Amino acid sequence: MTKRRAYGEQQRSSATRHRHDHGKSRCLNILRKLSAYIDDELSGSICREIRRHLGACPNCETFVVSLRQIVSLCRRSQAPTLSTAERAFMRRKILQTAQTR
Amino acid sequence: MGASSTTRRPPASSSLPSRNAKTFDILYRDHVDLIYRFAHRLCGEPEAAKDLVQETFLNAYRGFDRFRGEAQISTWLYTIASRACLRMRRKRKGAPERELSLEEFIPTSDGEFRLQIPIDGFSPEEALQNKQLRQALNAAISQLPKKYKMVLVLRDMEGLSAKEVGTIMGLHERAVKSRLHRARLFVRRQLSARGLDEAFTDHEHD
Repeated sequence: MTKRRAYGEQQRSSATRHRHDHGKSRCLNILRKLSAYIDDELSGSICREIRRHLGACPNCETFVVSLRQIVSLCRRSQAPTLSTAERAFMRRKILQTAQTR
Repeated sequence: MGASSTTRRPPASSSLPSRNAKTFDILYRDHVDLIYRFAHRLCGEPEAAKDLVQETFLNAYRGFDRFRGEAQISTWLYTIASRACLRMRRKRKGAPERELSLEEFIPTSDGEFRLQIPIDGFSPEEALQNKQLRQALNAAISQLPKKYKMVLVLRDMEGLSAKEVGTIMGLHERAVKSRLHRARLFVRRQLSARGLDEAFTDHEHD
């Protein structure tokens, strides 16, 4: 948090001062493309444009980091497994239903 | 629907599973864990997931004749499961069906840019050991309208390509990517200050 604020201050003091406002069309335009950016589906020139924006806009940078985190969490998240008994029980039930219905 | 009287099979599918219990057993043995995992991710709880698995394999058992062998068996089963899920979810009370617009994901306050459960410096596996994080992630996914949830689960959790997801859901690849983006933004927002505040407020009112 502190680190981000410090980075933000530094950005705001620069000549190309960018007051963050996600209502601005530029940030919205970047927001639209972030999944394609993360999934590496964009052309080199669009990627460069996005990286330039992220370098000048700490909040968008934080945003894209958090979106990447979500994708990694989804990819690594585990689901429970069935027990041998549950598998066998369900198999019997399916075959019974198939034969009776 | 007419499946029980269908004995003819297209020549191209002669090597595919025939409708008998033995072949069914192989199909079931090889894919039940995959379909249960998928079903659990869609339904969010074991009993509904088991119902979905049973419905999927029942439909698969009856539909061997319609399997043309153009897709992998897993893709075919995902398709059957997705359709069964859409039917089942209509009967049950789930997240309200609505379109997600990009505008609703634009942060409006400082706490909304980052995730509020700190995971910086941890690998995703380590972060997922945090029960609060796991619960928040699962809750966020369960709140997604189903057509978005299905895309997120197939693409980011099951690891399929956008093209495969399109085949399963009968969507153009572009539509898959658009839904995926909105689904990810939704989950991200739910784990930011805004989402967690709303979850807390909802809980208080319950």
